[in-house]
Amino acid sequence: MRWACLVAGLLIVPGVAGAQDVLDCHFVSGWEPTGTKRQYTPDHLYDYKDGGAEGYLVYGFTRMQGVDCKAGAATLAIDVSEMGDADLAYGMFAANRDPSLPVAKIGMGAQVLSQSLSFAKGKYFVEIVETDGNPTNNLTAVLEGFAGRMEKLLEGRTTPPAELDWFLKDDLVSARMVPESVLGLRILKHGYVAKYAQGQAFLVIEDSPASAQAVMSKMREKFEGAAPGGIADESFQLKAPYLEGMCVFRKGRYLGGYTNLVDGTAAAAQAAKLADRIPK
Amino acid sequence: MKPNTSRRAFLSAGLILPVVGATSRLGLANSTMGLLQPSDATDKLQKPAGSAVKLDMRILGNTGLKITTVGMGCMITSDPSVITRAADLGVNYFDTARGYQHGNNERMVGAALGGKRQQIVVSTKSPAGDKASLLKDLDTSLAELKTDYVDIWYLHSKDKPEDIRDDMIEAQHIAKQQGKIRFAGMSTHALPKQLEWTAQKKAFDVVLTVYNFSMDAAMDEAIATVAKTGTGVVAMKVMAGGFRSVKPSDPTYERLHRDGAMLSALKWVLKKPHIATTIPSMTDMDQLDENLRAMSEAYSARDEKILAAHLEQIKPLYCRMCNQCEGTCQKGLHVADTLRILTYADGYGQFALARERFQELPARHAEVRCGDCAECTVQCPFGVRVSDRMARAQELFA
Repeated sequence: MRWACLVAGLLIVPGVAGAQDVLDCHFVSGWEPTGTKRQYTPDHLYDYKDGGAEGYLVYGFTRMQGVDCKAGAATLAIDVSEMGDADLAYGMFAANRDPSLPVAKIGMGAQVLSQSLSFAKGKYFVEIVETDGNPTNNLTAVLEGFAGRMEKLLEGRTTPPAELDWFLKDDLVSARMVPESVLGLRILKHGYVAKYAQGQAFLVIEDSPASAQAVMSKMREKFEGAAPGGIADESFQLKAPYLEGMCVFRKGRYLGGYTNLVDGTAAAAQAAKLADRIPK
Repeated sequence: MKPNTSRRAFLSAGLILPVVGATSRLGLANSTMGLLQPSDATDKLQKPAGSAVKLDMRILGNTGLKITTVGMGCMITSDPSVITRAADLGVNYFDTARGYQHGNNERMVGAALGGKRQQIVVSTKSPAGDKASLLKDLDTSLAELKTDYVDIWYLHSKDKPEDIRDDMIEAQHIAKQQGKIRFAGMSTHALPKQLEWTAQKKAFDVVLTVYNFSMDAAMDEAIATVAKTGTGVVAMKVMAGGFRSVKPSDPTYERLHRDGAMLSALKWVLKKPHIATTIPSMTDMDQLDENLRAMSEAYSARDEKILAAHLEQIKPLYCRMCNQCEGTCQKGLHVADTLRILTYADGYGQFALARERFQELPARHAEVRCGDCAECTVQCPFGVRVSDRMARAQELFA
């Protein structure tokens, strides 16, 4: 048995020591561990996040460690997931937060509710959820207590992806990372989407200006008949089904634009402002 | 958590939604049917390339619901426009769940489909473990989906009979009486295990089960048994799950996509008469177009080859249950049983089931370590790397 434990330990521990260290029920007075610590890899995350594992996998999930903590009738499930990188961890956080509620400043961003808290820091995505206590309990202070201690121990970036800051702020509703198929188009592999009161903006990062140019060329094929947009290195605008009034531009290795506005001209006007905010 | 009433009012007001674009899209789609008409500039986004969409419909058991055999799993859909377009093209079964993206997924589906509510079948699920929590979840789902009812409401991920309590069934009855759901369902990753309970209780109108080409005859039998009771059967994880778990960095990734393996896998499921519909996850328009072809293209010898090749790839891992290895292990281990159990975890993602089955084996299975043998006496005629696989089972379950 000891041999097996050692082998299992060797297989699992490297790279997750950070997560192990932050799983301590005693971070908040009065809370005690209950049950054994859990750990999951993509192979069997299904066992824990039954029916929801795919939602983690698309953000480059590599492993999760978790523990249950108990105080009186309340139990907290604390889970630390290691995602592909910091951008993906932020993407996971943004996809799972309620965009109508404020973002708190823990790590790259946090959402604090009365019985759950989630935040992302570096490549880690942390969830703390009350699981079986009184549904009217307000555990905000406890959740923040755990998160505060954990955040200090987790290594990594504390700022959201820089690209999100390029989106225009007026009438911004929410902004998130899209891990694949931006705007539902496979050729836009991954990037960011910002929702506005009217329409949405997007950014796609390619490896090089040449590869961005190739994507732009495919976009022109897909949206044939578009008019020139007159923005950045190259651009086009049109009115399309589903994406409505849209404008797409390329600036260096970035593709960006606006969709779902009244027409291509309106989209181009907004897209020009977005292009100006993208560094050369 | 906000009270439901305020949430409903908030949603009704049409203020902050994560999918404002989708809402506006939908409004336009409703008011201007011209969007659905061919246009020289936009035709490429309207139909699967080169052909009109041919819809294949089946009846979902005794529910009488007539649904397209290719439905849409919305869990990881990246943009609501994909959902709206699927509905425009005639897909009429859409699946989400309370837990997907902490409610954001239901909200997106509601915004994307709101104007088409009468023409589509919407299913959602709750993982809650008691009546009160279930009914609370349902009210939240209705608010997020912006509808007064869901067509099918599943108890989410029930893999053991004891996962389903009587008060959960009662919650589904109450919801039916209140007109909040039309039909009750259960989703499971372990149908054979739930079979007897499901057949006896007759509590569900619909069962949502994992089903794909990599599964053995036992699953076929289980599905046939359920279907014969009049229970509608919906298949999930029809791409064998493995296609998604194969990462872009994996050498097989590009080939799986290039060869159309995902379409072949979907067609394989659709040739099974007991399956009423499927809910493959779709993240983009290309995937939607590809999957829709499964309704018009027959499963062919080429598909057979593609899937056989994929099975060939997993041959070193995949036990055919020929039992020729029985009695050949010098330590007396039941090799075929252990490999079959390991397949539950590695092949089907059913780790809990696998661990449980492993623990049912004689105690020596948890004590012996294959690595301790200088040489393995078991030779698999199909090339399964027995020693490696047994060691993995011991690592995972012992």
